[in-house]
Amino acid sequence: MKTASLFFTIFIFSGLLTFGQKLGDTIISNDSTKLRVKVLYFHITDRCNTCKSIEANLRKTIFENFQFQLDNGTLGLSIQNCELPRNAALVKKYDAYGATLAVTLYKNGKELQSEDLSNWAFQKVPKPEVFIAELKSKINELLKN
Amino acid sequence: MKIRNHLGTLVIIFVFAFISACHSGDTGKKSSNQTDTIKPEQKGTSAQASIKNTIPGKTGENSKTNSEEAKADLPVVFIYNFHVTNRCPTCIAIEEATTKTLNTYFSSELKLGRIKRQVLNVDDKVNNLISEKYQAFGSGLFVTRIFKGKETTTDLTGDGFKFAKNKEDKFIEILKSKISEYLK
Repeated sequence: MKTASLFFTIFIFSGLLTFGQKLGDTIISNDSTKLRVKVLYFHITDRCNTCKSIEANLRKTIFENFQFQLDNGTLGLSIQNCELPRNAALVKKYDAYGATLAVTLYKNGKELQSEDLSNWAFQKVPKPEVFIAELKSKINELLKN
Repeated sequence: MKIRNHLGTLVIIFVFAFISACHSGDTGKKSSNQTDTIKPEQKGTSAQASIKNTIPGKTGENSKTNSEEAKADLPVVFIYNFHVTNRCPTCIAIEEATTKTLNTYFSSELKLGRIKRQVLNVDDKVNNLISEKYQAFGSGLFVTRIFKGKETTTDLTGDGFKFAKNKEDKFIEILKSKISEYLK
């Protein structure tokens, strides 16, 4: 009985640890009515270094250059696992069945257009400074609209 | 005695949880290490036969082959699957879907040598030259067309990462379309 309860505790504890790591979604959307640009990044559950590097570069770009826009709600950031059932609708909408980076333009709370930057992201990720500079420029350009 | 029992239990939980955490964070260890520049599974196939002439890293041979192909009347398409030693599921899915695309739709072009495919480990220093040429430092899929001395390349890495694992049909369609376009 004692052994059984021990194994049960271990099972629950390790399960919590595993899922705790895999469900690390980040969604920052402070005021949807003010939203002008949303940056979306989707990833799968078992991630490679390249996919993680894209996310790291994306976070660096946003948090080092657009913290003000994040806080006032003109910029939104969404980083989600595309393999989770709860994200199925978003995955279908953005054709994001694997690692996908997209930027979307909003006006009056409505999504106007979306641009897929996945191929670009995989090309630029080996050079973080280029990745960050170009993404920053892209977001700035969209924020002007 | 009771305290000792509880302490023992806690130590076991900690060790188990630590192992579990390490395991879930290191997905690369799930796949096998590969150092060969050409996948063994391709042995005996037409793809293997056709790529033997263009083993990467041997610059002289490679450039000679490319220039020979460039003189031909028809374009030649090179497909490069780059990967690192510790591979993730998507990287493996990209390679498998590429193989499937070639075997399903382009087996005759492979036999004729109009399509040449290579699977290359970027961690293997013998592949340094070609990896640098394509700026492939991790997983990558590049389709190159060589015709009359002109080289055109499309990077399909992003599409591979988007679709190969969970939407294979779409990835195959994209790759098939690009290869067909480049063969014209």
